Amino acid sequence: MDVDVDPRPDKPLLQLRGISKHFTGVRALNRVDLDVRAGELHVLFGENGAGKSTLINVVSGTFPPDEGTFHFDGEEISHLTPQRARAIGISPVFQEFSLVPSLTVEENLFLGREITSSGVLRARQMRKRAQALIDELGFDLDPSRRVDDLSRAHQQMAEIAKALLGKVRLLILDEPTASLTERETGRLFELIARLKSQNVGLIYVSHRMREIRALADRVTVLRDGRHIRTLDAATSTDGELVELMTGRKIDLLFPTIAHKPDKVMVDVENLTLADGSVRDVNLYARTGEITGIAGLVGCGKSELIRAIYGIEPATSGVIRIDGAPYEFPAPRRSLKRGIAYFPANRIAEGLALSRPIRENASMTVLDLPAFARFGVLRQAAERARIADIMAQLQLRPPNIERAAGALSGGNRQKVMLGRALTRELTVFLFDEPSVGIDVGAKLEVYEFMKRLVEAGAAVIVVSSELPEVLALSNRLYVMHHGRIAAELTGAEKTEQNVLSSFFRDHLTAEVA
Amino acid sequence: MSTALITAGPQNSIGLRSIAGRIGLLPALLVLLVAGMSAVDPQFYGIINILNILRNASLLAIVASGQALVIVAGGFDLSVGAVVALASVVTAKTMATTAAAFPGNTALIIASGVAAGLGCGIVVGLVNGFCVAKLKVSGFVVTLGTMSATAGVGLMITNGIPVYGMPDIFVKGFGRAQAFGLPTAVHVALIVILVMVFAQRRTLFGRYVYAIGGNVDAAVVSGVSIQRHIVGTYVVSSVLAALVGILLTAQVGSGQASFGGDRMMLQSIAAAVIGGVSLRGGVGRVEIVAISALFLTILGNALNLLHVDSRLQPVFLGVIMVAAVALDELSRRRNARV
Amino acid sequence: MSDLELSVMAGDTDRAKPLLGRWLWNAVLPAALVALLLGFAAFDHGVLSPANLLNIAQQTSYLALFAMAQTVVILTRGFDLALGPTVSMVSVGTALAMAGATATGHDTSLVLFAGLGAGFGLGIACGLFNGVVIALLGVNPFVATLGSYNIAIGIATTLSSGRPVQGVPKLFSQIFYGGSIFGVPAAIAITVAIGIALHLVLSRTVFGRSLYIIGTNPRAAAVAGLPVKRILVATYVLCSALAALGAIMMTARTGSGEPNLGGALSLQAIAGAVVGGTSLAGGRGGVGTAVLGALFITILSNGMNLTRIDGYVQMVVLGAIVIVGVLLDRLRMERSQ
Repeated sequence: MDVDVDPRPDKPLLQLRGISKHFTGVRALNRVDLDVRAGELHVLFGENGAGKSTLINVVSGTFPPDEGTFHFDGEEISHLTPQRARAIGISPVFQEFSLVPSLTVEENLFLGREITSSGVLRARQMRKRAQALIDELGFDLDPSRRVDDLSRAHQQMAEIAKALLGKVRLLILDEPTASLTERETGRLFELIARLKSQNVGLIYVSHRMREIRALADRVTVLRDGRHIRTLDAATSTDGELVELMTGRKIDLLFPTIAHKPDKVMVDVENLTLADGSVRDVNLYARTGEITGIAGLVGCGKSELIRAIYGIEPATSGVIRIDGAPYEFPAPRRSLKRGIAYFPANRIAEGLALSRPIRENASMTVLDLPAFARFGVLRQAAERARIADIMAQLQLRPPNIERAAGALSGGNRQKVMLGRALTRELTVFLFDEPSVGIDVGAKLEVYEFMKRLVEAGAAVIVVSSELPEVLALSNRLYVMHHGRIAAELTGAEKTEQNVLSSFFRDHLTAEVA
Repeated sequence: MSTALITAGPQNSIGLRSIAGRIGLLPALLVLLVAGMSAVDPQFYGIINILNILRNASLLAIVASGQALVIVAGGFDLSVGAVVALASVVTAKTMATTAAAFPGNTALIIASGVAAGLGCGIVVGLVNGFCVAKLKVSGFVVTLGTMSATAGVGLMITNGIPVYGMPDIFVKGFGRAQAFGLPTAVHVALIVILVMVFAQRRTLFGRYVYAIGGNVDAAVVSGVSIQRHIVGTYVVSSVLAALVGILLTAQVGSGQASFGGDRMMLQSIAAAVIGGVSLRGGVGRVEIVAISALFLTILGNALNLLHVDSRLQPVFLGVIMVAAVALDELSRRRNARV
Repeated sequence: MSDLELSVMAGDTDRAKPLLGRWLWNAVLPAALVALLLGFAAFDHGVLSPANLLNIAQQTSYLALFAMAQTVVILTRGFDLALGPTVSMVSVGTALAMAGATATGHDTSLVLFAGLGAGFGLGIACGLFNGVVIALLGVNPFVATLGSYNIAIGIATTLSSGRPVQGVPKLFSQIFYGGSIFGVPAAIAITVAIGIALHLVLSRTVFGRSLYIIGTNPRAAAVAGLPVKRILVATYVLCSALAALGAIMMTARTGSGEPNLGGALSLQAIAGAVVGGTSLAGGRGGVGTAVLGALFITILSNGMNLTRIDGYVQMVVLGAIVIVGVLLDRLRMERSQ
């Protein structure tokens, strides 16, 4: 890219020095520096949990930093609020949308900066501007629809439009393409080019090499909350970036798993879910191998395994476990049949944070006589068993009476994994197993899966991290728009093939 | 292709059903109730009965629209009934005192009384709002506490005895007056509802109340100042309750600590909830709440005319309330699936 | 009492460091209780007389029972506004059943059984209604129990025609009010026994554990395979059954079925639970918090009565106490996070 006309090369638009931020039990940012120039697209690169989200939240005023200095356009800024950030031209596009579901697109676009005269809304004027903005962006979006009636991709467009309303000097995009189609992505890239030519600075969070190659001027790599290095995009290689991100050579990260596929344990036939997120899906998983499912955010891959476990209702199709039809799945019955599910969102669906680790780990086994007889808990047995399991998983510190909320992301995942060891299980459903945990903990999770598979379990891994599913799985399904787009094995299992099956129908649509 | 056609069917019918759920059902029930009662008992459409219904419905609608605003923002106001009582006795007492000090100066007497009554509302609303927004105590607990405290102050002032001594014109010329054939309370209620509808739809305040109730986090990152607007909802709710206290005082001719009370509080919540205000926050419209207040009042009136034991009447209110919310919940669940 | 509380709270979010702070915070309420008693005693020596202390204990036992009932549902993020009317309804139902059984000439033990059966039957029916509406139909607990509040009031006043129901046998009052176990008055003995039993249920059974987990994170509980709906229904039934027991004890005290017996009890019981440190956000509290809160409110009103503080002023003080109590509790939680 040819953005060389930086009017003030010495004075970056945004200058952060020594920014730190702590949360309970986690040091999210540790003395991070960041410069963004006007007219530059600056990529933040790092694994989940590296501190990217925290950093953009600091920049957009949602989290006040614990220490460090913050300069914007040469001025020192302290006590930044979201309101003030927008007023000075810092516009974030969050991945967790900042939209109010019960309001319309138009109402959301103007939220916090409505056009008013003495407290009265100027509805017509706002409608006009909203329509003009959406037309200018070329989005296919109806400003009068309620946000909760929109698809995820349309919500993403609304979120982007919201950020671009008004004067923007620094635009923050957090994985903006995660749920966009190829065509919409193309439009977004055109838009980005236009913004750069208007001297807008951009912070762009992504770990898709293709996007980084296409867009980035500079790349800042974060790892474990620390600034690792800032490089020129033009002169750095993919391998270099990945190595900086993971802190090791990429092939070292994943254990080699000896897959020995045996009998079919999970067999899904023509499964369609009530909410339409999964349609006519056929899939099977065998013991002794890891079956991977890849796909974009919102493609239905999580919903698929959640339906097998029984937390998403299905309307048609058959699920067979070990050859026997499994009707009306429900978590309790799934556990009894030996199926365990590890949710992606451990805070919302996994743990009772203020309860002790012990109670969290034994949550799924309270129906077993080893843990409770006639409804009465066997607390001594529980304590001994969970302490033993947590020691096996090398929980640090090993105190099982601490609240689960005091743990780091990796240790929380260990508590979840601990549940797998509390009872007889044969099928393990992992939903985004490495989200929000550090590299070391990731490795332990992978090792854990390896042990499960080698002991003859059937493991299904759903992940948005392509390298992860590619490396772990023996067979890989690719889902797109609720359907299985491809099944890849052996040598076909490449990033290129996965990506092409993501985008196949869009490409054909584009050609037509 | 084929699946697109298949999903289009149910989506349409659910769209219709949710539209019916949002506005159609309640007016339909109301018409049914009115038509049925008119057929059964001619007394029902007698002018005296109609005026009686309208007066009571107006008072309930005013309190319920304030309550609705608080619930839309994600809170609760249990103190409204007590505020009605406090405003009533404070208004009457202030008027009596001012009348003793400045006999004959009617305008001053009335103005001071009304100002004192509304002032009570503002104070209680500020206390509620402060505790909820700044001290972050749950709205339920805060208003439970202020409910007890407010009722206590009202009783302390009066010792439970009605307060007299208001100017005649306040009672005869305002409280019991009629303009265009309708009692004062109806006019006041119409004005309040119009203002509230305007506030909800056309003002920044109304928009932010929806946003805060709909998704606090989104409102925060969008730069909406949360605390100020939450305090605002509690103040509006309390002031409207105080207004009803003043109206009741003018109508009855004395200030009484027994006005309002738990009954008014529970009915205002019932009216809001039956009127489609979601306890999850972010959803609810004042005009429908007003219709719901009218519906509840007519229902009570109808049960009286039908000689249903007045003691049994709460059962109807309870069942209708639970049924309304359960239906709403079930249709919401079905909606979420498609 | 504080031992119970501490053991219930032991699972809370804390690291080793602020342990001392937590002890201090937990000691605030008991310390306030003692200060309150001594403070009132300075004005009126009668406050600390054995007769008055027994009186306080007896008065507390009713409110404590109701606060425990509320605590059980509050633990799951719910509450029961219908508790007061349930008490009224059970009181009327019990009295009517016993009067009816006496009139048809059954012997006394059968009369008592009829009364208890009717009382607990009505209570459990009310709990089932609440539980089913909340857990299965997904109605917000506030609305659901506000609905059953009205229904129970309607039933109680209709059954009794709004007047006290006479014909409660002497023996009934003798057992549940006049009676004593090892010299301990029946009301106190029953509440202590129920308190211990409930504490064991909460801390030692799968049901109790499930309540805390559901209250802390309902979705995680469902994903972990806990039978959330079934447990919620059982919770509301337990709450109403405890309320029914309290109603029976109060009916024995008044000697008649009272359609207004419940009055302000719903909110008083919630206030008791909340002042004691039960969190309305769910998952935190227990028998200890309920008893402590009930004790606090009873001592406060007892002391204010003895020092002849105006009844209306008492309402103001109670209102303020509820808010301050919850505020202190929130600060304590923030401290320990």
